[in-house]
Amino acid sequence: MRRLMQGNEAVFRGALAAGASYYAGYPISPSTEILNVASGWAAEHPEFGFLQAEDEIASANAVIGASLAGAKAFTATSGPGFSLMQEAVGYAQKVGVPSVFVNVQRVGPATGMPTMPGQGDIMQVRYGSTGDYTPLAFYPNSVAEAFSTTVLAFNAAEESRSPVVLLSDTFVGHLNEVVDPEELAAAATVAPRELAPLGRHEFGSPRFFAGVLMYEHGPNAGEPATADADEYLRQYYAAKHRHLEVANRYALYQHGWNVDAQTLVICYGIVSRVAAPLAPDYALFRPIRIHPMLGDELRAIAERYEHIVAIEANDGQYADMAELTLRREVKRVPLLGGRISMEALRAGLDRVLGGGPAEPPIPLAPTEAVERSPLGIG
Amino acid sequence: MAETALAELNYKSKLKLALFPTIWCPGCGIGTIMMQLAMVLDEMAMDETNTIIVSGIGCTGRMGSYMQFESVYTLHGRTLPVAEAIKTVRPEMNVIVVAGDGDTASIGGNHLVHSIRRNVPVTVLCNNNEIYGLTGGQTGPTTPTGTKTLSSPSGNPNTPINLQGIVRSSPHALYAKSTVYHQTHLRNAIREAIEHPGFSFVDITSQCIENNGRRIGFANANEMLTYYRKGYKRAPKDADTLGPMEIGVLRPEAERVGNGAARPLVVEAAPAVETPRPKAAPVDDEEKARKRAESQQKLALMQKLSPETKVRVAKGEISLADALLEAGVEEGPA
Repeated sequence: MRRLMQGNEAVFRGALAAGASYYAGYPISPSTEILNVASGWAAEHPEFGFLQAEDEIASANAVIGASLAGAKAFTATSGPGFSLMQEAVGYAQKVGVPSVFVNVQRVGPATGMPTMPGQGDIMQVRYGSTGDYTPLAFYPNSVAEAFSTTVLAFNAAEESRSPVVLLSDTFVGHLNEVVDPEELAAAATVAPRELAPLGRHEFGSPRFFAGVLMYEHGPNAGEPATADADEYLRQYYAAKHRHLEVANRYALYQHGWNVDAQTLVICYGIVSRVAAPLAPDYALFRPIRIHPMLGDELRAIAERYEHIVAIEANDGQYADMAELTLRREVKRVPLLGGRISMEALRAGLDRVLGGGPAEPPIPLAPTEAVERSPLGIG
Repeated sequence: MAETALAELNYKSKLKLALFPTIWCPGCGIGTIMMQLAMVLDEMAMDETNTIIVSGIGCTGRMGSYMQFESVYTLHGRTLPVAEAIKTVRPEMNVIVVAGDGDTASIGGNHLVHSIRRNVPVTVLCNNNEIYGLTGGQTGPTTPTGTKTLSSPSGNPNTPINLQGIVRSSPHALYAKSTVYHQTHLRNAIREAIEHPGFSFVDITSQCIENNGRRIGFANANEMLTYYRKGYKRAPKDADTLGPMEIGVLRPEAERVGNGAARPLVVEAAPAVETPRPKAAPVDDEEKARKRAESQQKLALMQKLSPETKVRVAKGEISLADALLEAGVEEGPA
């Protein structure tokens, strides 16, 4: 039945459709509705595991434990919480724990602007934990897409045996749109769990899931490999190739608006919705799979356009990646401080296409007390 | 006789002997904890299908890798959230956490406090050696005031953390204190903790001779064990707190008062998904006494062997009976 649904709730419903049976989280704006909905669901469905943890570190590690125990597990947070989860994300990368981490972004760094939308965690997803790894991340821009992309994130997590990040933002999370959840759920294909749960290993000796480098097979199985670069290479590239192969199955993006225009606008998440009035005059490239970078896809599209402009609610994080990929200039329109408005967007576009700088004119400091924000400090 | 002695070696089946010798320094106390845990798990018919070991970072964390159980070697300090989630998803499994004092009470202190608050039904074995051993000997949360360590060269200025007080802040949690010298007491404490349906914590004083003991004046591990033997006393049976040099088991108030009254369970068993939670095979007191006697006898026999032969027996390369014959040792009265 068609009904109004909020973006954050759609993430939870999508997770259920994907087979999720465990949620751990800690309240943080603007992701809290996911925690609320999960707790309500768990109260009515005792088979669904739920934990309101003492912090995001515990949430992330509980997701790891639940997943190894056999549940499809996820957590949701915002930037500051995601920072706290980074060590666990690295552990899940190293050990190969299928899991989903939802990051409903707000304006950082630190506590920042808790109720305002931002996209400042694109690079945190890519490089936030220690060491090298190949993360997969998706970013929807509507309620229906939040549902279906969550299903994909769970599937990609199972197939790649890795922590997959689902990005969102204050506005996508708080959008209310009419969707048909039954239809969306019926359309979902669900990847099965292949990793045998704890206590159910199928052959050999009992497994030892470790964040430290260990020999997993062969004559040295069970011994530490902490000084063996060869073993590091074997395990590192096995994981990298596995993740890239799975990522190739989900090379999701949108190339649209006026595809014959001279300028290609790159934007994603809520910015791509706000930018819709640009449709008559600009072409759109909207990556849905944010990581790994859609290299071949973007290269093939970009060569048709004279200018490329990335409009993001950060200081050019995707633009940096696009520039490296394309090896040509990508102009930047940063929409900072939560001001994702058509006015700011148009002004920025005109500025950079007219040869001006990415940096907007800095407003003068107020001489009088500003009116208190109706949104409070969250 | 030889067969009975061999039966007592059953707990070795809970260990991955192929990975021995362990990485632990000679004289380390962790091996004793692992042996006693293995004995309890053997006694309780626990195996890899019904028991999960979760371990933290530090010397103690490696225990999971030497045991014939599926094991998660977590990030530093994060044993409890991982263990809690495993228990939630698979309530039929026994989840045992092994970690050091640094992992449990310092970096993992917040999780400890809240796992106790939520009465998470897992058992924590805390190897309390009062030092960060793996990194060479820095002050830990349980290091006594005044102790000189690599990071407190003029003596630890702080008061050690009160683990008993933290665990006992919950009316549902079981707190046990033992030492690696008091092996029978330790074994019984571990067993009681595992049988406790809510959160249970075994605080095990053990020696780190290499990175602590020597620096504070002990010549060898034996001196530290002797110190434990002479220093620690059993608390009275009805004690409701343990003094700093007392060992004992402090049961939750509800259990002590109710004497067998229904114990509160926090996690209700989920609709049967897998096998039911395994209960230990019932062991009556007579059987316990017999097993204990056999165990002591076997230990006495093992003491007559050279260290090299002991290792061979432990690894199963040679039977105890053959080893005794080879060494020309009388088996003594059965």
